[in-house]
Amino acid sequence: MTTTERDVSRASGEGSSGHVPGGRDIWFFVLFESLVFTSYFCVYLFNRTQHEQAFLLGQSHLLLWLGVLETIVLLSSSWAVARCVQHARAGRFERARREAFLTAGFGLVFLILKIVEWVRLIHMGDTFTSSQFFQYYFFLTAIHCVHLLVGFVVLGVLVYQLSGEKRRSQVTVETCATYWHSVDFFWVLIFALLYVVR
Amino acid sequence: MKRPALLDDPKRELWLAWYATIGFYSLYTVVFFIITRTQPPGKPWYSPNQVVGWFAGRHEDLLIGFALIFILGGLSATSIALITYSIRRMTVSRAFAYSYLILYAVSAVPGFLFICVAMTVGAFRPDRNPEILRWIYDLGFLSFSGTMGVFLIGSLIWMLAILLDKNRVFPVWFGYLNLCNGLTEVVVAPSWIFHAGVFAWNGVIAWWINVAVFGLYTGAFILLLRNMILREDFGTGPMPDLPPEEGRGHMLAEFMAP
Repeated sequence: MTTTERDVSRASGEGSSGHVPGGRDIWFFVLFESLVFTSYFCVYLFNRTQHEQAFLLGQSHLLLWLGVLETIVLLSSSWAVARCVQHARAGRFERARREAFLTAGFGLVFLILKIVEWVRLIHMGDTFTSSQFFQYYFFLTAIHCVHLLVGFVVLGVLVYQLSGEKRRSQVTVETCATYWHSVDFFWVLIFALLYVVR
Repeated sequence: MKRPALLDDPKRELWLAWYATIGFYSLYTVVFFIITRTQPPGKPWYSPNQVVGWFAGRHEDLLIGFALIFILGGLSATSIALITYSIRRMTVSRAFAYSYLILYAVSAVPGFLFICVAMTVGAFRPDRNPEILRWIYDLGFLSFSGTMGVFLIGSLIWMLAILLDKNRVFPVWFGYLNLCNGLTEVVVAPSWIFHAGVFAWNGVIAWWINVAVFGLYTGAFILLLRNMILREDFGTGPMPDLPPEEGRGHMLAEFMAP
């Protein structure tokens, strides 16, 4: 069995019972980052219970529809990267590559929406230092955007993998997709905490 | 008289460097957390007179503790040397090892020397204007907590080397742990802005969570460097697995295998 065949076999779960997409290493990253984000969320929620009215006032400055739109855009990017993995599994690498570009496109739209939101808030006087709520808002959304920027590099690796016949490793494709899903996963939690929980 | 086996062990220098690394991190922990009590950091909102009291309350401790660091702090070079050695053993360009080595050659300055110099100056000059002492206090803690760029780039270089390596010198999950550590280095930046709260230099997010991640990261790489020495065959191809007698029955060892 060649390396590529073994990769495809592992990726599709054939002949293995404990297989996880992309291998265990990237899931270690997802787990560890989830713990780090959970610790940030615990700190946020604890402070929120101490200053509930001030946090509610800060939250009222956010546009819920914009948060929903950002979430839909990022979920669409995750859907695109899932299709990318499906196409790669089926050996349709050109279509997989197109889906990877679509993923990056949705990611870029999310980033633009986020910058527009930040500029709007700063013009309204809601800055990183203006209130406790906005300290958390800017911190959580900015650290998430750093993860998103790393995600663009990961998508670059994904496109590079899919572009060369000899480079195509299904495990790497799934590893990249898992990273992108984690960016989406962290955003859904941040969205729920900052925009929805009242 | 029988010659000790260790003297003929081809890995003796590697073991010497590894034990020196353990010695350095033990010294670092004891000096900063126990002797000088400069970690967890002092309060960022202290007034000049409170800062004078802070220095007076640990005058001898600062002098003794940081004298130890000035004498033995150079031991930090051993862990950097071992990590550079590990990157040279990988199937990546030497540029990675050289970049890491050069970056970490300066890391001792923001990593611990700047705070040692600032706090020792404060302890040796207690009669200075309280405003100047507070300036020194700020300089010490901000240089320690707020300057993580070197460590961010260093982590990313090591991560990239591990992910590209085909010799399995380090497990891939540790490559990702480098990314986790690098991402938490970004989080300390707000400590320059805030004097209180979770983002201040002693805050829950800027300090406590960061130190927890860094502590896990440091513990992991010290154990993995030990495994690397055990596995080292002085060849150029893929590194062999951990010898069975070292790894047998240990879940942690199995998890840490590449």
